[in-house]
Amino acid sequence: MLIKVASALHMGLETMKVDVEVNTANRGLPGFDIVGLPSKAVDESKERVKTAITNSHINFPMQKIIINLAPADIPKEGSFYDLPIAIGVLSAALDFAVPEKALFFGELSLDGSLRHTRGVLLLALFAKEYGYEQIFVPKDSANEAALIPEITVYPVAHLADVVEHLAGRIALQPITVSDALPIGEIQKAEFDMAEILGQEQAKRAMEIAAAGGHNILMVGSPGSGKTMLARALPGILPYLNNTESLEVTKVYSASGNIPAGGSLISVRPFRSPHHSTSLVGLIGGGSKPQPGEISLAHRGVLFLDEFNEFPRSVLEALRQPLEDGQVIITRALRRALYPAQFMLVASANPCPCGYLNHPKKSCMCSMREVQNYKKRASGPILDRIDLHVEVPAVEIDDLTEHRETHYKGESSLEIQKRIQKARDTQEERFTHEPIEVNAEMKNEHLKKYAQLSLEVEQLLRIGANKFQMSARSYFKMKKIARTIADLDEKQDIAIEHMAEALQYRSKMNNEE
Amino acid sequence: MNNQLSLQNNLYPLLLKEISDSPATLYYKGIWDEHIFTHCLAVVGSRNMTQYGKRVVDQVIGEVAASGITIVSGFMYGIDAQAHKAAVDAGGKTIAVMPCGIERIHPAYQEDLYNTIQETGGLIISEWDGDSMPAKWTFPKRNRIVAGLAQATLVVEAGLESGSLITAAFAKKFGRRVFAVPGPITSEVSKGTAKLVQEGASLVMGADDILAYFGKKQRMQKNTVRQKSDDPVEQSILDTLGSDVIEIDWIARKIGMPVAKVGTALSLMELRGVVSEENGKYYVN
Repeated sequence: MLIKVASALHMGLETMKVDVEVNTANRGLPGFDIVGLPSKAVDESKERVKTAITNSHINFPMQKIIINLAPADIPKEGSFYDLPIAIGVLSAALDFAVPEKALFFGELSLDGSLRHTRGVLLLALFAKEYGYEQIFVPKDSANEAALIPEITVYPVAHLADVVEHLAGRIALQPITVSDALPIGEIQKAEFDMAEILGQEQAKRAMEIAAAGGHNILMVGSPGSGKTMLARALPGILPYLNNTESLEVTKVYSASGNIPAGGSLISVRPFRSPHHSTSLVGLIGGGSKPQPGEISLAHRGVLFLDEFNEFPRSVLEALRQPLEDGQVIITRALRRALYPAQFMLVASANPCPCGYLNHPKKSCMCSMREVQNYKKRASGPILDRIDLHVEVPAVEIDDLTEHRETHYKGESSLEIQKRIQKARDTQEERFTHEPIEVNAEMKNEHLKKYAQLSLEVEQLLRIGANKFQMSARSYFKMKKIARTIADLDEKQDIAIEHMAEALQYRSKMNNEE
Repeated sequence: MNNQLSLQNNLYPLLLKEISDSPATLYYKGIWDEHIFTHCLAVVGSRNMTQYGKRVVDQVIGEVAASGITIVSGFMYGIDAQAHKAAVDAGGKTIAVMPCGIERIHPAYQEDLYNTIQETGGLIISEWDGDSMPAKWTFPKRNRIVAGLAQATLVVEAGLESGSLITAAFAKKFGRRVFAVPGPITSEVSKGTAKLVQEGASLVMGADDILAYFGKKQRMQKNTVRQKSDDPVEQSILDTLGSDVIEIDWIARKIGMPVAKVGTALSLMELRGVVSEENGKYYVN
């Protein structure tokens, strides 16, 4: 007797159909075999399925059982074929029909209950695209699938429940799109911007960066507040919109980063990998290509503290994703594409000892050391960072004396409102474009959306000449000016917007 | 063929001949013109140049070099290199005395400056042939030539253990005038110059003090009139800056305006050449 149960496999963010074919025969010695390039985890599925069925008080059929995972030439990985295999075996033994337009997915525990499995959101999206009507997934993962309202999602707690359901004895309740989808949550930040005293320009730069999704580099002595500024950033980020939310959730679902019972990711990711992070850890990779930090920071923030301490090879690998907003990881057997549209926030010391140009402390570094230190981040990388800002050392006395009068900074909430407005403007502007924020604009978009008047163009030209800007920096200035104008709620980019943008040019190269 | 000049040669700089252990042979690059040695000022100072030091060199040395006085220094980064640059920028001539063989550029990354010095009629000098490496002992040896070539030595910024003090000591020993630029006594690199003043060096408050010593006419005083602007924001920035070097956050705080506005104004002023920015701090030109 031959039964077919539909399931799927994930390669990166792509999903492919897998047919689990179960053949039971009364001839030959009883046995249980899986063919179709199963990995170790899939092969061990035999023991899990056997035990889970027995522990569900169902007799495991004493027949010769062959499982084929088709297509047979693609390696299968992971533990989520447990459920379709068990259903196939039991369907033959207990004689119930497996619905045709249904997908089964999930890992079994030895007691027959189902465990939280990664990639369920991707499965639901796949089901929707290919016309499946129902999916059976572990209960703990069902919230992810519930985001796709077009399909019926059955949350399965125990193997026995599905069997009863399919045999028509009980009816499983499909999960409905939870009416309390957490949209528009404000991310909790460690600090409020108002708590950071001084650093007016750095805060302003953060605001512009967050509004337009621009990359930003902060340079300053130890203790000047770079890390604090970065940690306060989540509090002023704009809300994730629905499309963005789904994109982020996909990456997290595929990499198993959604906790059991979790659902849509509704706050912008904020990732801050340590500088010992490997290239694969940052970019993604492995023989089964996994997303790296840059993809986990998709639509959010990738904070690289002590930027110059990262190995040069790791930093250089950022170049292409920074440009393309995605990364394609190619390995001998597989290829995976992960989105990586992140906002890079980097912080660096001005020199190895950290006290170059410090008002009080003297720098202990030789010129050579300083130069080597600066060389660790190459020109091309720095060129791809839109905003460059100095974070000067703040003197303690100033902070305490003038605290009330001079430093009344805005709260994160106030800043966030302004940023949200600017982001909404951008969303409207790019409705018919494949991009979301100003930072993503290419030349063609700049021509359309960042037209400069003669006067402003002139100013930019003079500035570019005086400050020896590269062609890329020249376009960067246009993007930043566009964002500043958006924050100012102006349609046209005016002189003052461009002049302010020039404040955030790269100052690292034009020393000497 | 190497350019070289022996002690017996008529073209050998007279001032350098006077000292007790003048180098027997001078190797050089560039075009030897004896007039370059008529008026020479040695400028030395710390490698850890502060912004203050840089401003002093740019202002004072620029003016001194422009009035035809040759600037002699040691081509090290920091004050030395800045002095060479200021001289070249002002259209003056400058001589770099190397601590290594004549064929070597040390430090190598200052190659551009090395070439510019020669292109603008200046000289590169060393008492060593070939491309020998600099060593601990070659620096003080070099310093005696720096001091020996010049009628006076100006120390801009120097720590207490600085090689610049060795140059100043040579100048004193040769009976030449030693000038020192005062600086904040809290700064590490002002302690050496402060000590020189205590020991009787002439305190320098501007290019005039040096020009007077060389018997040059004092140039027109500039920067006496404060910069004015029609724009009220720019005016208050100018008032706040005065003659200080201040970071943007401070300016914004002092005049009580959003930093975005102040940044806009500063960018425009910088493009017009009214103010300059260095390491995040602004000053009026």
